[in-house]
Amino acid sequence: MVELKIIKATLGYNHSPVLREIDLEVFPGELVGLIGPNGCGKSTVIKALSHVINLISGRITVGGQDITSIPRRKLACLVGVVPQLPLLPSTFTAFEIVLMGRNPHLGLFQSEGPRDRSLAYEAMEKTATVSLANRHVNELSGGEIQSLLIARVLVQETQAILLDEPTANLDIGRQIDILDLMRRLCTENKITALAALHDLNLASQYCDRLVLINKGRVHAEGVPSEVITNANVKEVYGAENCVYTHPVNGLPTILVSPRRAKSNKD
Amino acid sequence: MVESHLIVQPAGNLMPGRRVRLYGLLGLGVLLVLIIALAASIGSVAIPLTTTFSILADKLPFVDISPTWTNAMATVILEIRLPRVILAGLVGIALAIAGATYQGLFRNPLADPYLIGVAQGASLGAIIGFLLPAAWQVPGFGLIPLLAFTGALLSTATVYLLARVGKTLPVTTLILAGVALGALLGSVVSYLIISSGDKMHGIIFWLMGSFSLSQWSEVRIVLPYVAVGTAVILIFARIINVMQLDEEQAQQLGVNVERIKLILLAAATLITAASVSFVGTIGFVGIIIPHAVRLIWGADYRFLLPLSVLTGAIFMILTDLLARTVLSPAEIPIGVITAICGAPFFLYLLRRRKKAIF
Repeated sequence: MVELKIIKATLGYNHSPVLREIDLEVFPGELVGLIGPNGCGKSTVIKALSHVINLISGRITVGGQDITSIPRRKLACLVGVVPQLPLLPSTFTAFEIVLMGRNPHLGLFQSEGPRDRSLAYEAMEKTATVSLANRHVNELSGGEIQSLLIARVLVQETQAILLDEPTANLDIGRQIDILDLMRRLCTENKITALAALHDLNLASQYCDRLVLINKGRVHAEGVPSEVITNANVKEVYGAENCVYTHPVNGLPTILVSPRRAKSNKD
Repeated sequence: MVESHLIVQPAGNLMPGRRVRLYGLLGLGVLLVLIIALAASIGSVAIPLTTTFSILADKLPFVDISPTWTNAMATVILEIRLPRVILAGLVGIALAIAGATYQGLFRNPLADPYLIGVAQGASLGAIIGFLLPAAWQVPGFGLIPLLAFTGALLSTATVYLLARVGKTLPVTTLILAGVALGALLGSVVSYLIISSGDKMHGIIFWLMGSFSLSQWSEVRIVLPYVAVGTAVILIFARIINVMQLDEEQAQQLGVNVERIKLILLAAATLITAASVSFVGTIGFVGIIIPHAVRLIWGADYRFLLPLSVLTGAIFMILTDLLARTVLSPAEIPIGVITAICGAPFFLYLLRRRKKAIF
């Protein structure tokens, strides 16, 4: 079990900050949703938490330890990432891509053994990608690749999982499958999960807590009903009166309708 | 555990082609031994292949064959032809594995061992060696390889320093810096060639590569570089696979990308520099051999690298055999042969296989 903490951190690229002095905590067993408009810095948070970019100021701890003091291979055993539609080398098969998730667990002179291969197979079963195993990744659709990347992070056997728009390219059935799977991992295996999500309805339905980011800072934070409110959605997204209550479970739900032209209204 | 035993079976079938690649390694290994013997037996004095084999086998530890050959034959094989064959093999190994490594590091199919300034630096060093007064030439293997090696390392180091951005080494910057410095050095090389007068012929021959002056002393210098460099690169084969994703994903999978880039660049550059210093800037091998291997056996670096090593050695020994026999006693520069023989074969492979290869 590992908890992720961002403490008064300023994040960005080449010293131009995207997020200023933000605080964020994710605890074991929790699925936290990171929401906010395009370009607000959701991916930046994920890159900082996987130490792909350095902080401009502040600090990040993983399981209480400063992220800069954790060797890369050890960090990759603690924190796994599902990136947002990355380029994959076309010459590798789906199975080989999934198997690469074992990399942090293998020493320089080791190769994947039967256990690694059966872990990869299990992960592909869980993500319904077994039938793709021998296909080259350039033949796969965006949604299939997304599912493969989730299989890869399962194979990595990390205690924390960061997901960057994990449902962006999936049909609605797969969206539910993948988020159900994440939900189950959090509850049963006490995985620490942080997911950047665009779809506010999925965020509301699946996340224990939401963090709404806007204009370089945390705009709101809390359980979905505290964060997805008409006021917040209007201020951050400029969409008015679109928050309703889910008829079955009472969680906030977005229903959109076209913006009415002002001349019609008057 | 019973469950996981059940799923090991299907998972075992999820990696097709593994056996084909293992047979490929074995077959190429045997072929390499045969080609070494064949190349040693062919020349101005023809020595039967069986005799060549006996002479070579006699030199192995624990093997003792009663001589059916003359001392002269043994000298021709062991002192004249074998060092040349072995050096050709080593250079083939060096160029093929360095090419495959650069292609993997840069994730660029056009990368070759000369991409970041090794060849132009070596050429400039060698030409300076040619233009120095004859009195300066050191006895032994001479000043030219030493200057070529120094030139190769200096130009690569310059490219490296120019391409650094903070603590990182972005591969795009590295390629661009390499191309730019290469062009600069290349123009100096061109100017020196046209103003070199009667030394022009020797310089151009050197640039196109030749094994004609190979001796054991040169093998002894090149061998450690190629052996250590190749071993280092082979150790990182699985990591190079992971680096085919992209740097960000590789880091998130636990690869210390910057450190590994440095190690692999150093290894590939040193073996390339050591090779070209003695035999000149032989083109085409470093880019084509890894691609040919990819076309036949796939892109997994754990097989691609060792298969390229064997294929590179075989290809270089065969092309050198052609270079010294086709117009015998005259020699054709090896760079001419590598392209004439290699290009059509490569194009054939390319047409046969329509799948993505890189």
